[in-house]
Amino acid sequence: MQPDTHAIEGLAVTVLVSVGRHPVTGRSRRADQDARGVELARSLPGADIGLLHAGRLDAGNEAALRGYLGMGFDALTLIEQPENSDALPALAEALKAAPPQLVITGERAEQGEGSGLLPYLLAERLGWPLVSGLAAVEDVSAGVATVLQALPRGQRRRLKVRLPAILTVDAAAPAPRQSAFGPAQRGRLEVNEAPVAADVELAEWQFNPARKRPKRLKIVKAASARDRFKAAAAKAEGGGGQVLTDVTAEQGAEAVYKLLKEEGVLR
Amino acid sequence: MSEILRRDPRKEWIARNRLHPQHLEVLAELGRSAGQGAASEWVGPHGLVRRNPHVVGFMGPNGLKRIDRSGVQQGAGGGRAAKAAAQSKPLVEIESPAFLVTVVPDMAGGRLTGHDRDLLGLARQLADADPAAPGAVLAVIFGDHKEDGFAEAGIDRLLHLDGPEVEGFAPEARLGALVAVENAWTPRHWLIPDSKLGGADLGRRLAARLGERPATGVWQLEASDEADLGWSCTARGAAGSLDIQRPLPRFALALAECAEPVSDTRHAASELTLPQALPARLSRIEDLGQVAVDPAGVALSEAEFILSAGNGVRDWDGFHHAAEVLGATEGASRVAVDDGFMARNRQVGATGTWVTARVYVAVGISGAIQHLQGIQSCDKVVAINMDPGCDMIKRADLAVIGDSAKVLEALVALVEQAREEKRNAA
Amino acid sequence: MLDTLLPILIFASLALAVIGAWRRVRLWRQGRSAPVDLLKGLAAMPRRYLVDLHHVVARDKVMSNTHVATAGGFVAAAVLMVLVHGLGLAEGVLGWVLLAASATMFVGSCFVARRRRNPPARLSKGPWMRLPKSLMAFSLSIFAITLPAVGLLPDGFVEGSGSWVLALALCAVLVWGLGEMVFGMTWGGPMKHAFAGALHLAFHRRPERFSTKGGEGNRSTGLKALNLDDRQAPLGVETPSDFTWNQLLGFDACVQCGRCEAVCPAFAAGQPLNPKKLIQDMVVGMAGGSDAHYAGSPHPSQALGGKPVGEHRGSPDGPIVAREGKALVDADTLWSCTTCRACVEECPMMIEHVDAIVDMRRFLTLEHGNTPNKGAEVLDNLIATDNPGGFDPGARMHWAADLELPLMRDRQQADVLLWLGDGAYDMRNQRTLRALVKVLRAADVDFAVLGNEERDSGDVARRLGDEATFQSLAKRNIATLSQYRFQRILTCDPHSFHVLGNEYGELGGHYAVCHHSTYIAELYDAGRLHFKPWKGGSVTYHDPCYLGRYNGEFEAPRNVLRALGIEVAEMERSGFRSRCCGGGGGAPITDIPGKQRIPDMRMGDVRETGAELVAVGCPQCTAMLEGVVDASAEVRDIAELVADALIAAPASTGERSQTQEAQAAEVL
Ligand SMILES: Cc1cc2nc3c(=O)[nH]c(=O)nc-3n(C[C@H](O)[C@H](O)[C@H](O)COP(=O)(O)OP(=O)(O)OC[C@H]3O[C@@H](n4cnc5c(N)ncnc54)[C@H](O)[C@@H]3O)c2cc1C
Ligand code: SF4
Ligand code: SF4
Repeated sequence: MQPDTHAIEGLAVTVLVSVGRHPVTGRSRRADQDARGVELARSLPGADIGLLHAGRLDAGNEAALRGYLGMGFDALTLIEQPENSDALPALAEALKAAPPQLVITGERAEQGEGSGLLPYLLAERLGWPLVSGLAAVEDVSAGVATVLQALPRGQRRRLKVRLPAILTVDAAAPAPRQSAFGPAQRGRLEVNEAPVAADVELAEWQFNPARKRPKRLKIVKAASARDRFKAAAAKAEGGGGQVLTDVTAEQGAEAVYKLLKEEGVLR
Repeated sequence: MSEILRRDPRKEWIARNRLHPQHLEVLAELGRSAGQGAASEWVGPHGLVRRNPHVVGFMGPNGLKRIDRSGVQQGAGGGRAAKAAAQSKPLVEIESPAFLVTVVPDMAGGRLTGHDRDLLGLARQLADADPAAPGAVLAVIFGDHKEDGFAEAGIDRLLHLDGPEVEGFAPEARLGALVAVENAWTPRHWLIPDSKLGGADLGRRLAARLGERPATGVWQLEASDEADLGWSCTARGAAGSLDIQRPLPRFALALAECAEPVSDTRHAASELTLPQALPARLSRIEDLGQVAVDPAGVALSEAEFILSAGNGVRDWDGFHHAAEVLGATEGASRVAVDDGFMARNRQVGATGTWVTARVYVAVGISGAIQHLQGIQSCDKVVAINMDPGCDMIKRADLAVIGDSAKVLEALVALVEQAREEKRNAA
Repeated sequence: MLDTLLPILIFASLALAVIGAWRRVRLWRQGRSAPVDLLKGLAAMPRRYLVDLHHVVARDKVMSNTHVATAGGFVAAAVLMVLVHGLGLAEGVLGWVLLAASATMFVGSCFVARRRRNPPARLSKGPWMRLPKSLMAFSLSIFAITLPAVGLLPDGFVEGSGSWVLALALCAVLVWGLGEMVFGMTWGGPMKHAFAGALHLAFHRRPERFSTKGGEGNRSTGLKALNLDDRQAPLGVETPSDFTWNQLLGFDACVQCGRCEAVCPAFAAGQPLNPKKLIQDMVVGMAGGSDAHYAGSPHPSQALGGKPVGEHRGSPDGPIVAREGKALVDADTLWSCTTCRACVEECPMMIEHVDAIVDMRRFLTLEHGNTPNKGAEVLDNLIATDNPGGFDPGARMHWAADLELPLMRDRQQADVLLWLGDGAYDMRNQRTLRALVKVLRAADVDFAVLGNEERDSGDVARRLGDEATFQSLAKRNIATLSQYRFQRILTCDPHSFHVLGNEYGELGGHYAVCHHSTYIAELYDAGRLHFKPWKGGSVTYHDPCYLGRYNGEFEAPRNVLRALGIEVAEMERSGFRSRCCGGGGGAPITDIPGKQRIPDMRMGDVRETGAELVAVGCPQCTAMLEGVVDASAEVRDIAELVADALIAAPASTGERSQTQEAQAAEVL
């Protein structure tokens, strides 16, 4: 392929979107990472973006899906699936039928198992490369995308990936634009039929609201049980912090330095 | 390895003798040998109250189970003896394992991370569950490393794969290697840290490639007779809002603190090699390397360490210099922004950015409610302020009362001095 | 000769004026339709002009008299001119009256000229600078040509004395006068305000604002609901022609007096908003073109200077705010407004700035999805959690865990429903709420709260243009309220007060709502509260916009303070002229930068009074004023002051006058 600008002009991008869940109230909404994926797609000049969702259509879901339309889309393709079915075959079929150059999606869903496996399974099925945790797509040309992957501490790694490819985004990707009510109401949900595969395994699992995980106490290096007991009995740190009054600047700095060192933020 | 199988009167004696330096170890071994698969959480102060009482007991001489109420909580009195024990952790060797538990540590920065160690602890639970047929823990690591504590971390076998193709971000090459491990030894369990950009990515790739459905976000294991592998697990789902109880599959991606790291034993950590060399493959993903990002300019929402300036900062050059030396991202109160000393995108607070830094150092910031809102989810807050009565001090984990410029200056001097010493030492 | 020339000139200018009027009307009619009772409006117009408009103008006595003289003189002179010179009915008294009218007008125009000598910054210059001369030209020439008609000068004096030049000069001056006053009135000169203004008064979009013979007009401050069910209707205002026709007419009526500019807090803070310029921008857009001819102070911009004039342009069907680049108005102009209504309150032409601004914001939010800064986040929170902070709706009552507030769900009915507002999540406001509860309990009031069933009132969503979220919240609140029986709703949040009282009605919720200051004043008057005398320092009172200008409650808070024994040291801008704290209209959320902050200016006003304490009656004002660094005064809500002063009823209950006297004595 020639390095021409054509590649980017008609760049076909499909964003997989799901129904999210608000962390506080549990109300359905556009999923945060998926919405970031849509935003990322919108940052690609000349991209021809399609939105794809496989799932059940009901009032709550519809409002959430319309949230994506409100980001400035006329339509969203919806492959209707009953609840607790495996979306993979339906999505894979749809993507195979009209393969885009890029598939963008969030890292994991906010509802259901939320295992974050779907993009990997899709990549495996389609035989496409996958890059996870993207913060930005810098360039798409000549069948290769140059992307920035988010590393901790706001650092970035530059990668090149051969197209077609699947990209997943996380919270480092640009924040999604506001969903506007007007376009969201007017946009169309184009409902497609697809084979349904029930998720039998999942049906046997037990789902409970997440329990709070116990906070691990500081591990005391010494192997003596007495020391461990002391550690266990020590009041969990917290409450009022330590206040250093009447210290010299040097002493104060010393204390701050110690804390920074302990937290491992100094390099 | 099978010594714990035999009934050992000496051990039983030790188990009854709380003052014996090996009391805890022996108690552990006996607890396991009693065939109780449940995680014997008694080791160390695990969690708050998740201690399994069944494991605390031991078999008395007359065959009755006895529970030592004072047991683990009350430490051994002999500090000297305990120290001696710590120095020589018993070496556990598993020559002919019944099965393999493979762990793929992240090795971020070339060392086992805390998360890695937790997984190795979990791996040991799986491997040592049945003393009659113990498994071995195999760790697969990639690329150069600086770790020398594999044995203490509970690793029986170590497969070290090196070479340019697995360096950096090379998911496809690493995946190929892991597939080779699967083909060579077919481990009973795969445990991979569910950590961003590390195991979370690689583990999912592997499971997808091998067509196995993994459990993700696992944070707890329990023995279970119904499950195929004899274990069930609790995993986080739906963006952390659900706990999913399910049989433990072969592949598990586990969260940090899923188990206590190994601390009492040493293991062989003997090197393995793959029976066949890895096939060369063409990668479709090319790593162009890390992009230089100035820490001071990192987006506030992503920053891990923020040095934030308020109205109490006068010496702005000094402040910027401190941020640079500390490698901190710069933040600001609204007043500092309004007064034109800091850019708008640096504002922390209700109308600025809500930050999630691990350490937030507030320099000359009074702690108005609108500002405090923005640092709600910061782990550690340090305040440098003249006014001991201000709200920031109340919020802070550590507060230094003093002039901001002086304290920062002293801090910079300290850091520079420490760096200098390190350089000289090296 | 003049006898032939004058009718020609007069009727020609009248004809041109009619053509101009028709063209102007066509401009207005580009707007959307609006339900207006045309005939009733026309009939009411004189009264609206003479009473309501002059009520506003009369705040500036000199200007008011000037306007009466000039405008009155002009209207009379113009009508008589047609009769006397146009139709030749000079006989009798008419001519004399015409002389008097034109003389009056001349006197008026002298005052206009005097004001134009050193005009304050708020006045527009440009064509407006020639207006006094035009007024003089008209009045003088009419006066001169009428002199012969009444016989003060012999017939044919002007021509007869042979001075054709004089006659021509007089005609030329008259042409100038007629041009400005008659032709210019409809073709777009400064006098346009008279024509458009008169019709604007007649067809005003809020006819209820005006007084009738029956009584005072009401303040009519509630925003009008948007029809969200009609999916094809554009949401909000994108182009000038998306305004209703009478809104366009209203913009055209602006006299560029700049009173709005002078009171606008955003303008004073150097934020990029000048309400006068904004209205003129709309006029430019309605007619099409650029703002290059605008001759007043521009929208300020962040860096002290103004936004350059002449770079913005628009057309009736072109966008007002461009998605990218420039159009007629920049988005940050619209988002700078605190919806304080100071401009509306001051505007002599009764123009509705806030309606227009919110209309345009609606489009930006509902169609563009472009609410700036934290706006989008706040709206998302409102949608997902029913409060702007994104807090757990189940935690709304945590602050009051120890107070055991009676819940409506348990009680089903109460005299007073205490509406807590989102301040329930705010630690500062919780102190106010606690104080209010203490006061209510002291007065033995039968009250209950909705508790977790309460939601945000929708105020912020609506001012940020998110009508959909507003209506969703409002409808659910109305449904909740409909389950319970209560006499009235009491709240310490004027924003909730306004929305519940003035804006829910259109959606089917009609309630008697009152502010805590009103209620406390009533309780005190009824002898149910007793206060110990005030011992603190001097106190000033800040009128919240949504309590004062929006709801006309200026007295109750002052009465309460008086009852506490506090003599309020008034700020220069207080009462209906109170300066906004900067907290309304979502302005703290959109946070458009200026050269200073509005609350800092307000605290400056407080400092000028020398007060040590500023009493407020709004959680928003409290937050804004407390956010001021190095403030000279403490900020306390009225409820807190009252709660602190509570004492048990004196033994001889009912003897209020005595206790009052006793208090007064102690104060002295
Ligand atoms: C609606 C609204 C939204 C707001 N949003 C935000 C926001 O998002 N972010 C934000 O930060 N603010 C916000 N504010 C402003 C907030 O209320 C405070 O005004 C502001 O945070 C105060 O900033 P500061 O602490 O830097 O200044 P100050 O309050 O003046 O505090 C300065 C501090 O520095 C200390 N100090 C002085 N000299 C020295 C010295 N030499 N060495 C050490 N210490 C010294 C003083 O003791 C004091 O504690 C908002 C306000 C409102 C009303
Ligand atoms: S809008 Fe009203 S107050 Fe403002 S300049 Fe025009 S007429 Fe005057
Ligand atoms: S409502 Fe207030 S802030 Fe808005 S334009 Fe009018 S005066 Fe200015």
